[in-house]
Amino acid sequence: MSILNILSRTKLYWGLIAIFLIGVLGSPISSKGNNIFLSYGNLLDVLRQVSTTGLIATGMTAVIITGGIDLSVGSLMAICTVVCAMLLTVPGVTPAVVLGVPTVAVVALCLGILVTRFIFLNIEKSRAGSQATHDIRLDSVRGLVTPGIVGVVLCSLVLWFLLPQVGSKFGVLGVLLVAPCVGLLFGALNGFIIVAGRLQPFIVTLAMMVTALGIARLTAGQNNAVLPVYTGSNATADFEILRSLVFGVIPMPGLFFLGAILIYGAVLRFTPFGRYVYAIGGNEEAARLSGIAAGRVKIATYAVSGLLAGVAAVLYVAQYRQGKPDAGAGLELDAIAAVVIGGTSLMGGRGSLIGTFCGVLIFGLLSNILQLHNINSNLQLVLKGMIIIGTVLVQERNAVDFLFYLRLVFAPLWGGQAHKETTAAKRPSKETPSLNLGGNKK
Amino acid sequence: MKRRELLKLAAVTAALLTTTALLASGNAYAQDKKWKIGFSQVTTIEPWRAQFNKDILAEAAKHPEVELIVTDGEDKTEKQVADVENLIRQEVDALLVSPKESAGLTGVVQQAIDAKIPVFVLDRNVETKDYTQFVGGDNKLIGRAAGEYAVELLGGKGKAAGNVVEIWGGMGTQPAHDRHDGFHEFTGKEPGIKYLLDQQSGDWKQDQAYNIMATALRNNEKIDLVYGHNDPMAYGAYLAAKDAGREKDIKFIGIDGLPNEGVTLVNNGELTATFTYVTPGAEGLRQAIKFLNGEKVEKTITLPTEKITKENAAQILKDNGL
Repeated sequence: MSILNILSRTKLYWGLIAIFLIGVLGSPISSKGNNIFLSYGNLLDVLRQVSTTGLIATGMTAVIITGGIDLSVGSLMAICTVVCAMLLTVPGVTPAVVLGVPTVAVVALCLGILVTRFIFLNIEKSRAGSQATHDIRLDSVRGLVTPGIVGVVLCSLVLWFLLPQVGSKFGVLGVLLVAPCVGLLFGALNGFIIVAGRLQPFIVTLAMMVTALGIARLTAGQNNAVLPVYTGSNATADFEILRSLVFGVIPMPGLFFLGAILIYGAVLRFTPFGRYVYAIGGNEEAARLSGIAAGRVKIATYAVSGLLAGVAAVLYVAQYRQGKPDAGAGLELDAIAAVVIGGTSLMGGRGSLIGTFCGVLIFGLLSNILQLHNINSNLQLVLKGMIIIGTVLVQERNAVDFLFYLRLVFAPLWGGQAHKETTAAKRPSKETPSLNLGGNKK
Repeated sequence: MKRRELLKLAAVTAALLTTTALLASGNAYAQDKKWKIGFSQVTTIEPWRAQFNKDILAEAAKHPEVELIVTDGEDKTEKQVADVENLIRQEVDALLVSPKESAGLTGVVQQAIDAKIPVFVLDRNVETKDYTQFVGGDNKLIGRAAGEYAVELLGGKGKAAGNVVEIWGGMGTQPAHDRHDGFHEFTGKEPGIKYLLDQQSGDWKQDQAYNIMATALRNNEKIDLVYGHNDPMAYGAYLAAKDAGREKDIKFIGIDGLPNEGVTLVNNGELTATFTYVTPGAEGLRQAIKFLNGEKVEKTITLPTEKITKENAAQILKDNGL
């Protein structure tokens, strides 16, 4: 394997390193002679700024690997910020309580049932291995009764914790529990409709995006109220912990982002579930025929996507000290861009969370560099768009083909005939489309 | 295969070198300026904000000792917070912020204050009192002026009567509430005035106001006055009335009075009146420079309003070179 091959295989990291080097070398110097880009504070800023998009992109990656897409994450985050802010600041039975508490109960119930069934299934498997097939006690409990009981117990435990808080303001712990659960429920609903209705993920999550925006506005009351958690509540003081530096090194939102990448990355890489996700993205029919419960796996990816949107919402409320119905507007597109820059294919089946991590950082560092140089914000948008296209061209290994086509298109301008069919046949591309772009057939 | 890879590598290296060179050359300029002032704007795609930027840039051009950096928050709290963080890292000598929302920007303004940067809050306030100065118009004052004039248009104090359509800005923004409250301090005392809509928000936008007004026109035989929380919304309502052929029976009042917008509309006879909401751009920058030069500044500066009707509109347009 040549050095160039290695370089080509690791281009994502090189991309990240390159953009970092550009930042360092081209950074403005402060009046005290410090390199502003490289300053500790600036890098912390970047990590904190990308963490919300990063969490969303983390959930999005798995969804995209299965060949789907989740457009609703921005709105789901908006609902969760509203619920969070309302629970923290408004005492009494508010729309947020009506929405949040039953949701947590439902989620707890489902989780209880799922986990218990999983455990009993495994016990049954191991017993089968040891020939103890006629265990009556196990027979009676592995169905729905015992898991149901366990679920109900878990559910009542959660309610026992939450219900006393209804009527007063919820603490940070309660909010941390409620917001992700709301996200999880809506995400699972997305997945369920897609799977059960056999519908396109695009249209289902688009519909959910609109629905969720409406629910967020209804919950917030009035038309689009901003719910500040800054004044007149202890919530802010409690929430300081979510804005603080962990061990004085990493900002808490960044830690959540890194944690999500590591945990979900390990799940995708090392567990059967992760293998199923890739298999479904590669060929859903084949995956189903080989015994994978494709529907359940897909529902799970959407549910996790919603869950992470909920976590992002908590961090949003902590950072910006408010919740509002237009909180995550446009976030889904940023997340998709980061995922794609990170090498995940929108066709599904290919991609990784490490890639997404690099993609998110590349995007964040890029914004930071452009902003530090005070480049016109409209020009920034143009540059960002072009860089997305450029990166994806390199990612998809099509950059050379692209240049080749470009040459074909412009060939007539400088005298036509430059390329013959033979050149086209030697083209390095694997699947050469037989496009006649003019110039070579005169 | 090899050649292709080499080509790629060469292209990437070339791109890297150019970008670095470009970025490095970019910050060689303007080192001799005395003061570096950062201004974080919410958005540029809104006429009043565009005028705001124009005003502050025009004022900056008058001060050769000042380097002004203007950032665009793209109407997102997250982006604006990131912008301000960036300006803090660039160690600006003074920071001007016009927040999207009070709560969302409070944290980062506090951060700037902690970094010993004087902070000038423009137009919308933040929820801390440690900033250097607040410069902005008083929306309540303007609402009062609009309310007083509305009562006059509808028949005068104590006798005013008519059906009023009020189109709100955003329900979540303080300016909309202030413009509403000020207006109702006058119109609320008149038993003859009836309000047709219950808190309809046009989100400061002309197209949404058009739709609200179109519905209102269909549902109501008689409308006497429209109060839009800004000129584009008042104009949107005017267009809806015009399309229904009823614009002659209705008076339209807007707020903001930008030369190329509200004032022109009043001059054309499309709006009855508008009330200027001066952008704090020029005054804010003047105050910041004053402060940097060691002078004392007041904690709050309230910018005055002016009533613009058919009588003075033409003159104002002439003064602005339009």
